[in-house]
Amino acid sequence: MTMERDVYVIGVGIHRFGKHDVSRRDMHYVAGITALEDAGLSFKDVGALYTGFIGGAMLDGVTYAKDLGLTGLPVVHIENASATGSSAFREAVMSVAGGSTEVAMAIGFDGRLGNVAQAVGPRRPSMDTNLLPAAFFAFWAVRRMHDNGTTVETYAKIAAKNWNHARFNKYAERQAEQEITPEVVLAAPLVAYPHTAMMACGAGAGAAAAIVATRQVAERLANGRPLVRVAASQMQSERYQPGHVFLGAIVGPSESTRITANLAYEEAGLGPEDLDLVHVHDAFPIEELMYYELLGICPEGEGDRLVAEGATTIGGRIPFSTDGGLIGRGHPGGPTGLAQIWDVTQQLRGESGVRQVEGAQVGLAHMMGAGSVCVVHILQRES
Amino acid sequence: MKVPIEEGYFRIPEGPDESPVLLGSYSPSAKTYFWPRRKRCPITLDAVEDCELSNEGIIYSWTFVLLPWLGSMEADKSGGFGAAQVDLPEGVRIQAPLEGKMGDWEIGQRVRLVTRTVDRAENGDELCTIAFRLLEAAS
Repeated sequence: MTMERDVYVIGVGIHRFGKHDVSRRDMHYVAGITALEDAGLSFKDVGALYTGFIGGAMLDGVTYAKDLGLTGLPVVHIENASATGSSAFREAVMSVAGGSTEVAMAIGFDGRLGNVAQAVGPRRPSMDTNLLPAAFFAFWAVRRMHDNGTTVETYAKIAAKNWNHARFNKYAERQAEQEITPEVVLAAPLVAYPHTAMMACGAGAGAAAAIVATRQVAERLANGRPLVRVAASQMQSERYQPGHVFLGAIVGPSESTRITANLAYEEAGLGPEDLDLVHVHDAFPIEELMYYELLGICPEGEGDRLVAEGATTIGGRIPFSTDGGLIGRGHPGGPTGLAQIWDVTQQLRGESGVRQVEGAQVGLAHMMGAGSVCVVHILQRES
Repeated sequence: MKVPIEEGYFRIPEGPDESPVLLGSYSPSAKTYFWPRRKRCPITLDAVEDCELSNEGIIYSWTFVLLPWLGSMEADKSGGFGAAQVDLPEGVRIQAPLEGKMGDWEIGQRVRLVTRTVDRAENGDELCTIAFRLLEAAS
């Protein structure tokens, strides 16, 4: 599906991620109101709201929306595992692109107990909870070591990079006082071989929001800032691949990323060579490593070389996870995809401070939902 | 008595030394096997036939899980457990716990399916899932 009319990100907001005790309701409000302030809009101007969360009660989205106002707007709850925030953002984009509203908003939030871990257990044993996400991505990592000679040090370098990106993001869950080295990452307790605890994504609380609008609205509110256009919004669910895994907490083929990204590149009229920064579902470093190749950033089997060269660090050729990613910024299920949009938008506006990717014009945000859903957005700066 | 924790995935062997039998599907139009059972062929969308799958296969990948919950620093109560993705001769890949300890496993080893008791019903029945057991030592 392509968009009937251009859509722009006109406001983003965030509440700090982490293991704090701020209520989900308060985080939702902070993310929402800061996005409205960033856009220069009132909640009265918003035509539709898509709320993304995994934990909590069935009407939390519309209940919390009352804190922003009782305007009668449609409110819809979106849930797509880790891709919940990305899916809520996509629905907001589609509502503007399709002409049903001029301005739409997506807010994602989850508390400490509303993260991916809660979504998959613990609960009564069953066939599909026989194994957990930590095992699934460790399978990828061990197989990659067998096929490509990838080392645990490579995984540690990716994780250390993301921890260090998060050090300079005040909204990140993990803010180490000192630079994190691969040796420190490797010395952490084992989660699932070869992954250590410092290679696993943070699983705290958080909230993030984004507001999208038509070009006419975006131009009216730009106030001298560059416009950020949604150049592509694509979502795919699984397609059968040889070796397809159907049962488990996390399933599905890695090929979903390549398929979805190619659709996004086609829609945007851009290619991987045009990207200036990338966000991916880096719940574990093996994912980021494989996505270098599946997104076409480098040829098959050459992801390890990118890591060795430091190409995916801020200041490198193609920075990944510039706000710390899932490993450093954290990964509550609801807001993660929207935190990616928050960071990419700020990067394209040139508002990211010490984490700024110089001259950033195009950014890509990718999320997987339990391995079964893949969402890719490409945002592009327009001066 | 051992019973599957959920119906429709496998059946318990009759003899104590026999492997559980995986209940799968075969798509004649795609000439492809699946596990667990499918309502339709996911490739061609045609009808599928019920079938039983092999109970031996080859390790495609493995791991040892010590801290199963994301963000948790609490070790699994069992002290950790092995897990594997295994390719069956029919081309089906399944994932399940793997018996043994770190150092026992490598890609390409042959394994056999066994039952794994994970809970007990009110009537005393052992509720089982599946696991893998090595048929050969690491090289």
